Amino acid sequence: MRLLLVEDNVALADELCAGLQRLGYVVDWLTDGRDAAYQGAVEPYDLIILDLGLPGLPGLEVLARWRAAAISTPVLILTARSAWSERIDGLKAGADDYLTKPFHHEELYLRVQALLRRSHGFSNQNQLSAEGLHLDEARQMVHSRGETIELTGAEFRLLRYFMLHPGQVLSKSHLAEHLYDGETERDSNVLEVHVNHLRRKLGKAVIETRRGQGYRFAGCEAQL
Amino acid sequence: MRHSIQRQLTFSLAMLLIVMGLLLSQAGLWVVDRGLRQYTQDNLQTQAESLLAALVKGPQGLELNSRHHDAVFLKPFSGQYFIIEFNQQRWRSRSLWDFELPDVEHLGFSEQLRPGPEQQQLLIYQGDYRRYKTDIKVTVAHDYSPVLVSFKQAQIIGAGLGLLALLLTLLLQRLLVRRALKPLEQTRVQIEQLQQGQRSQLEQETPIELQPLVQQVNRLLAHTEETLQRSRKGLGNLGHALKTPLAVLVSLLQREELQRQPELLAIMQEQLEHIAQRIARELTRARLSGEALPGAFFDCAEELPSLFQLMNHVHGDVLTLDWHATPELRLPWERDDILEMLGNLLDNACKWADSRVELSIEKRGEAYCVWVDDDGPGIEESQREQVQRRGSRLDEQSVGHGLGLGIVRDIVETLHGTLQLLDSPLGGLRVEICLQSSVK
Repeated sequence: MRLLLVEDNVALADELCAGLQRLGYVVDWLTDGRDAAYQGAVEPYDLIILDLGLPGLPGLEVLARWRAAAISTPVLILTARSAWSERIDGLKAGADDYLTKPFHHEELYLRVQALLRRSHGFSNQNQLSAEGLHLDEARQMVHSRGETIELTGAEFRLLRYFMLHPGQVLSKSHLAEHLYDGETERDSNVLEVHVNHLRRKLGKAVIETRRGQGYRFAGCEAQL
Repeated sequence: MRHSIQRQLTFSLAMLLIVMGLLLSQAGLWVVDRGLRQYTQDNLQTQAESLLAALVKGPQGLELNSRHHDAVFLKPFSGQYFIIEFNQQRWRSRSLWDFELPDVEHLGFSEQLRPGPEQQQLLIYQGDYRRYKTDIKVTVAHDYSPVLVSFKQAQIIGAGLGLLALLLTLLLQRLLVRRALKPLEQTRVQIEQLQQGQRSQLEQETPIELQPLVQQVNRLLAHTEETLQRSRKGLGNLGHALKTPLAVLVSLLQREELQRQPELLAIMQEQLEHIAQRIARELTRARLSGEALPGAFFDCAEELPSLFQLMNHVHGDVLTLDWHATPELRLPWERDDILEMLGNLLDNACKWADSRVELSIEKRGEAYCVWVDDDGPGIEESQREQVQRRGSRLDEQSVGHGLGLGIVRDIVETLHGTLQLLDSPLGGLRVEICLQSSVK
């Protein structure tokens, strides 16, 4: 999962980046509204956390530009503006969720998880479940047929991405773009290694390889 | 009774017309009366002279040639009388019958009316003449009362006509004034609409006399709105400046170093929570416009769907949210104020509801009533007062509904409304808010 955090307070952004990275998200951080308007439109983010009081360009304006350019990336507004009218204005501008400062980090992380699930069509679920697997995002574990399987950070990130895109063929470059930070990680065959780890833990059929195309998440039920 | 231009104009015009009418009619009567008396005087003089001419010398001395004087002198109390005196002789006209003419002190015409027979009012002329070497004193009298009677009649008719004219004039004046004041009335209606939130500005198309007023009102409205926007922006910035560092502090609490100090952590958490709540409440209060913007309104059909979309977003998974409002209902208060009130009310209800939250808004006479119902545990009657009490502390979590209702109460107070906690037909708490429209 690749997130964009747009927040001009350095201390807060540092904390948030660290927290989100611990949860297995790849985070890009910007402070200026104009940069955000550009980068949010060209990079394939899975979710954007947007502050409203930004230098350069107001957050709502940034959001309006994205929506005008048909960028449908889910946006969570994180702002000090707590009036209900401002929340409504935020939603009208195209935000998918609205969280006001100060906030508990847990709340933000839960909202991010929920928003990601919702934006991939898993509404009304407090847990990510797909094809017989249930992912415990807080503890980074997966439940499958009554068993609880622990995952490493990298495996968790990969499985979560697969589970959010069940049945879709995902190319290696697409996965690398959304899961890994930096060129070194992307270039190596890290991805194949992690796929193999997941297959070893969850069964061989859980992820199919489509030669020349990429991977496809088939889930546990495929093995029955 | 309050001052009204229409009433004042009617009153002054009526007074003016009455005074002028009375003066004119009295003056007119006086002139006519004077003229008639003059004419009668001339007549009496002529009569006296013709009586003198009718005296002829007969065999027994002087006698009156009856052919030469009018028949009116023969008919009793006809209103024309004479007395001729000479050489101890005294001839009276037959018309005098048994009446004695009052004495006249001097010769010539007597200005005053003298009482005559049968309530007649006499004008008398007395003249001394000399004829046939004899001193002859002729007194003639004429009854003036028919003229006086017709004067009276004229006065009555005149008063009637005058009254009619007065009424007609006043009616006409009312129409004219109403037409002349129409723009003023239109402006008044517009100001009323402004207060009811049915318009946000006064119409610029007014007569030049009203232009400065309308322009000034519009300018003032624009200025107030601008000030409000500016202060809200400032408050937004202040909120941003305060809450972001607060968010940093809250996030620092997650640090392991602090997690190892649970007591310190608890104190810091509590204090930060206090600061956050205090800021939230004060900023919310400061953002309220109250009645500063008379033209502002809250359109239920336009705003409620997006508010409920937002509510559903947060609570929709678990709760069924509904709203009912009279179609096309507009509350004459500023949008942000009402949204803040409803948002907090609903949010609060959603926190306590088991499955349902309902909002109803209704106009009752000049008041607007808002009910928010939930099917949660409700509040014990004994504790309701504590929640409603002014200045109850924000951290009083014992009664649960604390903070959300605290902010709602601030808003309701600013809007001069009332807040009541009741039992809901859904089983939980019903919050009833009644806002009085400021148009009295």
